[in-house]
Amino acid sequence: MEFEVLAKCHTTRARVSRMKLAHGVTMLPTFMPVATQAAIKGLTPEQVESLGVSLILNNTYHLNLRPGLKVLQEAGGAHKFQGWDGNLLTDSGGFQMVSLNKFMTMTEEGALFESPFTGEPTMLTPEESISIQHIIGADIIMQLDDVVSSLTVGPRVEEAMERSVRWLDRCIAQHENSGKKRTQNLFAIVQGGLDPELRDRCLDEMVKRKDGVSGFAIGGLSGGEEKDIFWRIIKQCAEKLPEDRPRYSMGIGFAEDLLVCVALGVDMADCVFPTRTARFGVALTHQGPLNLRLSKHAKDFNPIDEACPCPTCESGTSRAMLHHIVTHETAAAHALTLHNVTFQAQVMGRARTAIMEGTFPDYLHSFFANYFGDVGYPEWCVNALRSVGVDLLEGKDINVVPGQGAKWEYAKS
Amino acid sequence: MSNTVNVAGLSFTLANPTTTRKFGPRIGSAVFRRPNGAELTIETPGMLASSSRGVIPHLSRDHHNLTKAIRWVHIPFETFLEHSPPVPTLQAGKNPLHTFLGFLPSQHILSMSIRDPHDGKGMPSNGNAHVCASSLRGVRKISPSTWRSHVGACQPDIAIALSDTPFTDPPYSQKRLTKSIERSVQWLADILQPVEEPALRPNIFVHMSGATSIPARRAFSESLTEILHGREADSVKPFRCLDEGVSGYTFNLVPLRLSLDASIRPVPEDQHDIPPTIDSRDPLPTRNTRHADQIIPLLQASLISLPTSKTRLINSARSPHEILLFIQNIGVDLFDAHWAQRAADIGIALDFRFPVTEHARGKASTKLGKEIPTNGKRNIGHNLYHNDYTLDFTSLGGDSFVGSYDDRANMATQDICLCAACSPAIPRTRIAHGNDPNEASSIIPEEAPPRYRPPYTRAYVHHLLHTHEMTAHSLLVMHNISVLDAFFAGVRRVVAEKGEQEFIEEVKVFESTYDGNLAVFDEARVMWRNVEMARGKGRLAREKAKQEESTLGTAVEL
Repeated sequence: MEFEVLAKCHTTRARVSRMKLAHGVTMLPTFMPVATQAAIKGLTPEQVESLGVSLILNNTYHLNLRPGLKVLQEAGGAHKFQGWDGNLLTDSGGFQMVSLNKFMTMTEEGALFESPFTGEPTMLTPEESISIQHIIGADIIMQLDDVVSSLTVGPRVEEAMERSVRWLDRCIAQHENSGKKRTQNLFAIVQGGLDPELRDRCLDEMVKRKDGVSGFAIGGLSGGEEKDIFWRIIKQCAEKLPEDRPRYSMGIGFAEDLLVCVALGVDMADCVFPTRTARFGVALTHQGPLNLRLSKHAKDFNPIDEACPCPTCESGTSRAMLHHIVTHETAAAHALTLHNVTFQAQVMGRARTAIMEGTFPDYLHSFFANYFGDVGYPEWCVNALRSVGVDLLEGKDINVVPGQGAKWEYAKS
Repeated sequence: MSNTVNVAGLSFTLANPTTTRKFGPRIGSAVFRRPNGAELTIETPGMLASSSRGVIPHLSRDHHNLTKAIRWVHIPFETFLEHSPPVPTLQAGKNPLHTFLGFLPSQHILSMSIRDPHDGKGMPSNGNAHVCASSLRGVRKISPSTWRSHVGACQPDIAIALSDTPFTDPPYSQKRLTKSIERSVQWLADILQPVEEPALRPNIFVHMSGATSIPARRAFSESLTEILHGREADSVKPFRCLDEGVSGYTFNLVPLRLSLDASIRPVPEDQHDIPPTIDSRDPLPTRNTRHADQIIPLLQASLISLPTSKTRLINSARSPHEILLFIQNIGVDLFDAHWAQRAADIGIALDFRFPVTEHARGKASTKLGKEIPTNGKRNIGHNLYHNDYTLDFTSLGGDSFVGSYDDRANMATQDICLCAACSPAIPRTRIAHGNDPNEASSIIPEEAPPRYRPPYTRAYVHHLLHTHEMTAHSLLVMHNISVLDAFFAGVRRVVAEKGEQEFIEEVKVFESTYDGNLAVFDEARVMWRNVEMARGKGRLAREKAKQEESTLGTAVEL
């Protein structure tokens, strides 16, 4: 991997960098759409590429089950199997084992789970996770970590953090000996729950192992924790992670979360949110989400966003037409997925431009004014951005909303 | 007023117009000339794509524009009756229907009927002055004048006149058929009423009434060519007879099949309320091939007294075998692609050619044991749900076509499948976000030829089907429509270059090469249902049960 920081925001910790991987250059900060099972929901790789996306994510857990490693191996890796010429990242499979398996136990050796096919006990070790990811062949691969829900408290959090450090060593060793280091890059995952002290210890240990990894992820968040704790952990981690490695915040997808994370120094993020919400009829816009199932859109001949360059808006698809097909036709999901993936890329692209031009704080001001101006700013965003020198409320008389503060378009009851 | 008109005038020419024969294979071209001078040509025999709720199922707009085989799309209007007035009628600008649905006037012909021609579900009786149409909010009554006004507001290129086709339980009495014919004739006259601006009127196609009664069908056709007098003549001025105002004849096979089924299965008095079986509504072919033989005389009865110079269109043919029979024995010009699109819903990748290639003429391949149905013939497609495809890295239509990427030897165009699955083209443009560097957007210049990637493989689509990924169906729809388009191109080539006798020989070869029972479809349907059961979410279960009976496309989990 070639990684070069091109510009830094004069106020916040945001930065623009250029990351060159085996399948091309991806500019950071970026959002990675999720192709869990080797397809972005309903789209072809050519469509995804045409939206200006250069890095997507596959899930190791799913690909290991289907199509299975034999198929991937014979296909010549996941890139060739799904016809994707751009960059690809795979997770380690650890997170899905926790979220999808009822009968999983973590041991020092690895994660012991029940095979969903045969019901037999199966072990996923750190070594095995890396070997599987080597067969999949993604440009960025993730260490196997001991994941606990972000709402877990007590000694289990510490145990998981410490084990994740030990497993990182095993992943590094496996990766070093694989001969894949030239084309594949291993990322570490910082754990430690919501406890700043555990996070600090994890950061210290993992940063010591910097030479064995190409980048760092911040894991164990986005599991329903309070947003005011979430941003403080992100800030703490981003501050301590080395300058010369990309920082990846896992499972982040709301536009406001993305921009706060970027301001705190995060370079990459992924989430199923924009593609999932598309299937339920929600279009993301710079003025907030539009729920196209609502009857108020039934006779609205405007596109989702007049200025959006996505194929859906560019071809003039009206909200009325989308309302007519949404949740009835897969084509509606495709139209909204094309739009939402483009929206995410735009939010991040505009951030990059602003950072390069030294206007990132202005971009934050204008984004929040457009997106939340009518309902009020989430308090946690205000707090988070204040901590890096941007006061969203400066010169404004605007409502501040406590709690999660995510914006949604509801039906009028 | 006239500057808002962009309806295409249709002229249909047969390659051999001097022929006096009523029936037999024929080739022609339907040229649509738009008021701005643009021309769209549909070579016949050819095809039109079916739509559901105004979209070609599984295709986004960029995909339907990319699929060059999609040149004519049929729009059933009834789903728009959920709102009053229907939303497309409120669309501003030129070509309102094209604009609302995202089809390109420069690339797509749109035809519009009130009902979905594939929907055979039971409906209340039509009235003397209304047709019963089906919408999500229940049955809607549509009068001839309302239909005329919707057509006028939407400006499709072709409108199908209302017709009184009963969807109550067959069989129908002679009295019912007489009423059906009278109404259908009257409703055709209604849409042919004089208009201030004749260019405003789209081309009118008429559905040929008369159900399964040969005398009734003849009577309907004869009333079209009957010269009108007095008030009747005034009401359709300047046409002397109704047929003069008609550009094409359509035949909906779903109601015909329902009637044919009913005529061989006596319905006991007490079972009149039982709706027709799901099987008979299913537009997919079944092992039952007797229908085509029974349908041919019915269609001939409709056409015998009518001029040969107008287009003939069939909805809901079930297989290429049936299509060939209708081309050979009647001279049908246009067929919908519904069966091929529906095949994509259930995981079938079509893989056949007409005329049959040398390669396929030989023994059916025994590779992987998946090619031979019980009768020893080839399948016209692959059931990609089957585990035999897990490791099959050939292209979807790899037995009959190559993709552009592998076109090293500059093969003839008929050997290449240009669909986005077999010939994925590297996008010419990418949306730029922020400071994307040049190297991340290596744009192909506009004048440069397209650059292709290797085809998507059967193994990949097999994986997508089993993981319930919608991309599988997008790829399959584009592919299947393209294969069907290539099939029609092959038919035209044989008829044009080799003549009728050779064509009939090629049809025989086709029938002896490819399995006409489409056993592979039955197998796919079972596997498709199994995956739906295993992976589908309960939330949509009820909806799905309703959909899978006859609806195109929508039966796929979102």
